[in-house]
Amino acid sequence: MFESFLVRPDSLRNDVANGEVVGFSLAVRHANYRGCYISLHNGYFLEVDGVQYDRALQTFEVNGKNPRTYEQLKTQVWEHWDYDDEGILHVALPGGLRPGMHTIRLQQSVLAAYGYLPTDDEWVTSPPVPGTGLGSDKTPDIVSYEIELQNGAN
Amino acid sequence: MTIQRGVSLYSYQQSQFIKRLNLQQMIEEVGSNLYGANGIELVDEMSLRYPDPGEAFVREWFGWHEKYGTRPVAMDVGMDVLQFRDHVMTYEECAERLKSDIRLAKRLGFTNVRTLSVVPIEIIEMALPLAESLDIKLGKEIHQPMTLEGVEVTQILDLVERTGTSHLGIVPDLGIFQFRPSEVLLEWLERKGAQPSASEASVELALMVRDGGAAYEHFKVSKQTAGNIRAAFGSFVQTGVVAPGLKDAFQGVKEFTEIKVENPQAIDYRTVAEALMMSHTSLDALRDLVPQITHIHGKFNYMSEVPGSVGEFTEISIDYPGVIGALKAGGYLGYINSEYEGQRYFQDRGLEGIKDEVDQVRRHQAMLVKLIGA
Repeated sequence: MFESFLVRPDSLRNDVANGEVVGFSLAVRHANYRGCYISLHNGYFLEVDGVQYDRALQTFEVNGKNPRTYEQLKTQVWEHWDYDDEGILHVALPGGLRPGMHTIRLQQSVLAAYGYLPTDDEWVTSPPVPGTGLGSDKTPDIVSYEIELQNGAN
Repeated sequence: MTIQRGVSLYSYQQSQFIKRLNLQQMIEEVGSNLYGANGIELVDEMSLRYPDPGEAFVREWFGWHEKYGTRPVAMDVGMDVLQFRDHVMTYEECAERLKSDIRLAKRLGFTNVRTLSVVPIEIIEMALPLAESLDIKLGKEIHQPMTLEGVEVTQILDLVERTGTSHLGIVPDLGIFQFRPSEVLLEWLERKGAQPSASEASVELALMVRDGGAAYEHFKVSKQTAGNIRAAFGSFVQTGVVAPGLKDAFQGVKEFTEIKVENPQAIDYRTVAEALMMSHTSLDALRDLVPQITHIHGKFNYMSEVPGSVGEFTEISIDYPGVIGALKAGGYLGYINSEYEGQRYFQDRGLEGIKDEVDQVRRHQAMLVKLIGA
């Protein structure tokens, strides 16, 4: 669902801290028809220009709070990511992305689904790695975007 | 008295996502442009700041209903059993979430709460006393490929009989009266690479299962959710591995595909397998279950104009005339709420290619008016 619209096209920017480019970020939405408790958010399969950036390099900014790791989000079992709201996906990459167009391939993993599933116990101890479609409920395919790096911060 | 009409705001999920309509505008559309429809249904985690929308919102919410002549009918609630991440939620924890949603529904003036089709009956039983004390009707959704003759309905009827409750029933999703794959789903699959012969085979197989009697019983796989069947079939095509209960159906689809489609690829098998998503449930059962229906999801995937009849619309894959006839025969006086789901089959085409949900719901309501009035 919403394959073409999960990433805001004008949101790809380099992240700057203390005058240094420390990575890049982009704005994403729920790949579903509803929101969910933020604890269920399990990260992204993310590839930019053929280079994969796994979850250890990602942090996620939502609900007016500083970017958090998925290990931190996992413990926020009563905080809700509402359907209307964007989240900002930050990726650590010293020097950031070069100016111009980039090919982004992305899949969101949110461990939300309908009721009890055979995978429940397994996903408590070892949640799926994003990219396989597991834990991606309504949008299980990787989606590709061509977007241009913008100036300024998200 | 007659059948009442409303809209599940699920129908406008895309308009909300791309910020074309907000909640107030959706309610205004229902109250103003749908030929007297007045019922509002919504998904709590889609339409609301959840789990507490705040007191200011609650005041606004009731103000909108007064202004637009609408009324809150049903709130649809979910259950994500991995919320706590360090364990799978117990039935007690799921019941607590359901109870919290029931209280929220009451606060917003809803009369019904719809639970998912897959919620275990034990959880519903745990929440039932609260629903009774707040005068909220709990309705379990019966969604394709489940049937009205299946265990999901029997369990509800048994619990009603055992407790004598007047606050529990079912929410038939009219997708259970779908008898062939939707044309917009098939076109979407073709854009993903399916051959037109696979689409034709899918429709042909669905109709053969409907009309073919005992020889096709093994294609009826109503025990699972559609999503789980799709996932299991994909893995069967790749690996040949399948649970025993699905083996005959999956093998049958595979063989049928190989007869009808030249050099079939994974996407062709997937397309033909859509024939398995039909419930094959009976209109007589719907008529007989009318007293147990809390409300109805008027599922549709695409409303097309009837050829040669300007302004007249139809859903070619769902037996709406049969459904409305059975509901009338059973004396149904509750709500049918439009539930548009076909927008997702246009979202691969960019903003220029998406469907107008407002127009689709108007067409659906126009069809309901005609069928109910006939």
